[in-house]
Amino acid sequence: MLFAAEKTRPVLWHMSTGLEVLWYFLAVVSVLVFAYGVWRPIAKYRRGRAIWMPARSELWPRFKRATRRLFAHSAIARRDPLAGWAHRGTFYGFLVLFAGTIILAIDTDVVHRISGYSYFKGNFYLGYSVVLDVFGLALVGGLAVMMVRRGILRPRKLDYARPDRAPGEEQFDRRVYRVGDWVFLGVLITIALTGYLLEGVRVAEDNPGYNAWTPIGWVFAQLYDGLGVSQSGLTDIRHGIWWFHGLLAISFVAAIPYTKATHMLTSYASMVLKDPLAGKRLRPIPEELASEPAGYATLADFSITHLLQLDACTKCGRCHEVCPANITGRPLSPRDVILELREQANAGIDHPAWGEHSVHADTAWSCMQCNACVEICPVGIEQAPIINQLRRNMIEEGELDSNLQSTLQVIHKSGNSFGENRRRRGRWTEELEFEVKDARTEPVDLLWFVGDYASFDPRSQTVTRALATILHEAGVDFGIMFDGERNAGNDVRRVGEEGLFEALAEHNVAALSECEFARILTSDPHSLNTLRNEYPDYGGEWEVVHHTALLLELIQAGRLAVDGQLSYRVTYHDPCYLGRHNGGYDAPREILRRLGCELIEMPRNRDNSFCCGAGGGRIWIPDKPGAERPSENRIREAVSVGPLDLFVVSCPKDVTMFEDAIKTSGNADNIRLAELTELVQEALVAAPVAAV
Amino acid sequence: MSGVLVVAEARRGELRDVSLELIGAARSLGGPLSVAVIDHDPSRYRDRLSVEGVDAVLAVATPNEHFEPHVAARALEGLIASEQPDVVVLGHTIDSLGFAPAVAARGGHGFASDVTRVSGGADSLVVGRSAYGGKLEAELDFPGKDTVLLLLRAGAFEPAGGSGSPEWRDVQVELGEPRSEHVDFREAATGDVDITKADFLLSVGRGIEDKDNLEQFEGLADKMGAILSVSRPLVDAGWVTNARQVGQSGKTVKPKVYLALGISGAVQHLAGMRGADTIIAVNTDPEAPIFSVAHYGAVADLFDVADQLEQQSG
Amino acid sequence: MKVVVPVKQVAVVDEDFELADDGTAVDPDFLEWSLNEWDEFSVEAALQLAGDDGEVVVVTVGDDEATEGLLTCLAKGAGRGIRVWEQSLTSADALAVARVLAAVVERESPDLVLCGVQSSDAVNSATGIGLAGFLDLPHVAVARAISGGEGSLTVERELEGGLVEVVRIGLPALLTVQTGINEPRYANLRAIKQAREKPLEVLDLAGLGLSGDDVAGASGGRLRKLAVPEAGEGAEMLTGSAAEVATRIREIVQDRLSA
Repeated sequence: MLFAAEKTRPVLWHMSTGLEVLWYFLAVVSVLVFAYGVWRPIAKYRRGRAIWMPARSELWPRFKRATRRLFAHSAIARRDPLAGWAHRGTFYGFLVLFAGTIILAIDTDVVHRISGYSYFKGNFYLGYSVVLDVFGLALVGGLAVMMVRRGILRPRKLDYARPDRAPGEEQFDRRVYRVGDWVFLGVLITIALTGYLLEGVRVAEDNPGYNAWTPIGWVFAQLYDGLGVSQSGLTDIRHGIWWFHGLLAISFVAAIPYTKATHMLTSYASMVLKDPLAGKRLRPIPEELASEPAGYATLADFSITHLLQLDACTKCGRCHEVCPANITGRPLSPRDVILELREQANAGIDHPAWGEHSVHADTAWSCMQCNACVEICPVGIEQAPIINQLRRNMIEEGELDSNLQSTLQVIHKSGNSFGENRRRRGRWTEELEFEVKDARTEPVDLLWFVGDYASFDPRSQTVTRALATILHEAGVDFGIMFDGERNAGNDVRRVGEEGLFEALAEHNVAALSECEFARILTSDPHSLNTLRNEYPDYGGEWEVVHHTALLLELIQAGRLAVDGQLSYRVTYHDPCYLGRHNGGYDAPREILRRLGCELIEMPRNRDNSFCCGAGGGRIWIPDKPGAERPSENRIREAVSVGPLDLFVVSCPKDVTMFEDAIKTSGNADNIRLAELTELVQEALVAAPVAAV
Repeated sequence: MSGVLVVAEARRGELRDVSLELIGAARSLGGPLSVAVIDHDPSRYRDRLSVEGVDAVLAVATPNEHFEPHVAARALEGLIASEQPDVVVLGHTIDSLGFAPAVAARGGHGFASDVTRVSGGADSLVVGRSAYGGKLEAELDFPGKDTVLLLLRAGAFEPAGGSGSPEWRDVQVELGEPRSEHVDFREAATGDVDITKADFLLSVGRGIEDKDNLEQFEGLADKMGAILSVSRPLVDAGWVTNARQVGQSGKTVKPKVYLALGISGAVQHLAGMRGADTIIAVNTDPEAPIFSVAHYGAVADLFDVADQLEQQSG
Repeated sequence: MKVVVPVKQVAVVDEDFELADDGTAVDPDFLEWSLNEWDEFSVEAALQLAGDDGEVVVVTVGDDEATEGLLTCLAKGAGRGIRVWEQSLTSADALAVARVLAAVVERESPDLVLCGVQSSDAVNSATGIGLAGFLDLPHVAVARAISGGEGSLTVERELEGGLVEVVRIGLPALLTVQTGINEPRYANLRAIKQAREKPLEVLDLAGLGLSGDDVAGASGGRLRKLAVPEAGEGAEMLTGSAAEVATRIREIVQDRLSA
């Protein structure tokens, strides 16, 4: 049958009124089912706590930002370009096809019904046609790539096996997820392909011409021709595919909130509501919860945002793949923590958030709070802060390693994790040939917050003294607080001991407030993170600079003549709290460049840096023997890069962890550790200091 | 009467060595010296108590077969009332600690425990003991006290020797009823090893930080030809059985070599090993009390030294 | 079950301490205070024995420095705290303190009194049993395990050489508790802060019906002086790197074992 001249296509082709009514009825049912499916989790989220919600005024900027990020797809393409393209195809394909259906529905059911006018014709229709054809291809292509990835390439991130359950234990089996994800892909690609089949049979039967505007449809039409299907056969096939495609499509839409497809809604919502400072700035306990046990005991204690985020996970596996605990065989995968909590929330909002039948204690305690998971999650899930909330509650209940318990008690008593008398905090200065100013009694330009490790650990003390000497000789006006300084509290907080953190923060803020200074310097990234990002919540807001940034300032101002003095082959390890948490990637590299060193990057560098294993209080919790330590894993990575002179670090805990790991991994003859300050000092000794 | 009353200590039919140390200390005070034996069958210790310097043995027979603190307290109170000694000397032992303070409290007597020095004679007594966990020494006297009870640290005084023939007196005391009931004795966990027989002990303490490090030190002990022993905190934490514990509530050892890694040297531990021929101690704290009994010491990280010992013992 | 737990805030002396002018005390500037290690175990034992239905009352003789220790015990679950102090108690020894505690325990009439075997600073090991003496309570010293509860307890006494004696004792009684008997729970700082809401009574001697003479008379002796112990010959210190130290140690070991 030929449709003379008019460039359009029949909608609801050849349907009896009865069938048309049935179709609309089913469409309405599908919308209702969808609506219920959206309402149910919202009701669940509302049973969480309405804390830390963004202000109304922030919502519009957040929507804009989330939408921009989503359309750019940069988060999904990061470190996995293939997945990036596959998802772009799927996303834009689905979006365009969905929009296309809406546009058509509006024309058919609204515009045409009311005014008799229809825009679904002519050039509009042609344009519409070709756009949908191409994007449909993008959809099919994207889905096909995803299927290949999942079925043939089998990347580690898509291995759903969870490290926190042994075979046979409850909730070990991931079959439901695996099958569910295949069904999702299968149904969607079937919808797309049956769409083309339908287009093909229409083109074959109606022969409308303008094939250039329905290219794929034309290809599929050849299929029917090739099979030699008769005209009446085409009609039958057309009826059949129409209903099949239609029913499958509206079922899919109805099922969106009940299946993996729900991520279209939940992941987007997560991107809107997420905390941009997640992990950098943990949340103080809200006033209204001051007399409640801290943290998350049950799912009802979760913030609304966090409850929602449990449903936003698409099991993309990026966090699973990047987690240093998981990589070194510990029973933690951030993905599986989120999925476990999701399952608990769906079983009942008052289900426990941790415990024997929920997230295991040793799972939560394996976390190093390195933020690699938060940083890489394309949809903004806050795995590490959620684990921190679990820990807060575990501390309440006394569920913690006994060594950790002792360390916390020691920190409470002596203000440092070494158990040293607080009076000895400034002892490291005694070996210097000059006096270090006491910032408590004289104004200084730079108040140097030294930190526990830099003050007390013998190996780190050499770095501290080196820095002091450099600053002194460069004429920098600095001072320290001696025993007025206490552990900054970053790791105490990450362990979940909010009360102790608060006590430390309040003490330090008070001590700092008594001093006169322009900026705070710190040589410890952990201290940097909490001083800069968290102390403002406790009344202390100052400019805080890391020693690598300061050294670069001095070099660039010509106050340290180090240019080209060293020619080592080095690799540089980005500390979690300087790099990922605070974006300090460039200053150390620029310093190395100025020094004249040749920097060979490790495969996992910058935001992908691999944690040394000390964070999150792990340095206070003994490791199980036998397991590879994250620091050893990192040294092996460095050594595999090629012959190197030095492994360069800029954090005192890295100094401790990697000095040890170089020995225990048997690489003492292959590589040597140097802290960046030590290299600067070495360069200075080689050249005179510029006169101030 | 005046003079010194020593309270001998026995368990399961054996006189404990500390009793002779008490007699030795009492002799240095001068004056009449009696030894009290509060036991189910005091006569079984007659021979061992017949040492030089003992004037009289006062035997108080108890109906209960084993030590019972309330009966022992009544016995001592009775003896103090009838003999009126200037000084009563007991060992700073678990049994004595179980009743002597109560006797001192009720009687308003002078009292000092864990005493390491005595001087001045029975009626102008001055004693020395440690203070502030061993960092200081305190000197005490007892003005206005007719009777002073002293608990002497085991191993701090020379035991009395020689032989004598003290008067033997069976003393009747109103003992009252026991207020606790002995149920059973349980031997120390025997385990697979008897550390008291070892020539060379490698001993570790809190400094090893974690149970999982024990394996490393077991290995090191093996390599060096030593038996591994531990100080109390590791047993308290459940990492090791008491069979390997050196100390007052563990074993007393006298090996040829005692190598202590990461042990600070609490008094109770020192009590168990200070008799070793050669004591070598490694600890990061230069003030650790163990250095006061060690023959050789090193202020160093025990893991570093252990690693080196391991490598060199290759 | 109602349990009273006397606790002590003990002093740790700084490495560069100085003595007070009269030579009988350490200058308080060089003292750091914390809850006696044995008392962590006795408080934990009390909390476990008292359970949810019972009551645990902690009491201490000490100045304001001792409040922190009491708050920690309250944070762990003790229901009430009592602190007794006045200037005359500064030099109170073990028996004098026991005399004061006896007045408190009489007021409270508990089923059980749990003390630590000793305190880590004075190490008298006498306050607990002395207290039992003043109260004329049945007592067992150096308990490493406690069980039972309905009117009587089965207690394991830890003897020298690892030997254990099992005894039974009726309530009310007093026990002194040894370290390692349990795993003391952690008192997090929020709980310690919230513990300020719990009842904490501060009393002087008059509040207990005691006079300074009562207490002084109960004292066991008089501290004449404190002195730094003589260094003695001391150990021969081995210096150098870990490798050098290890080498020397091996030499010494070999030498002594072959001798």
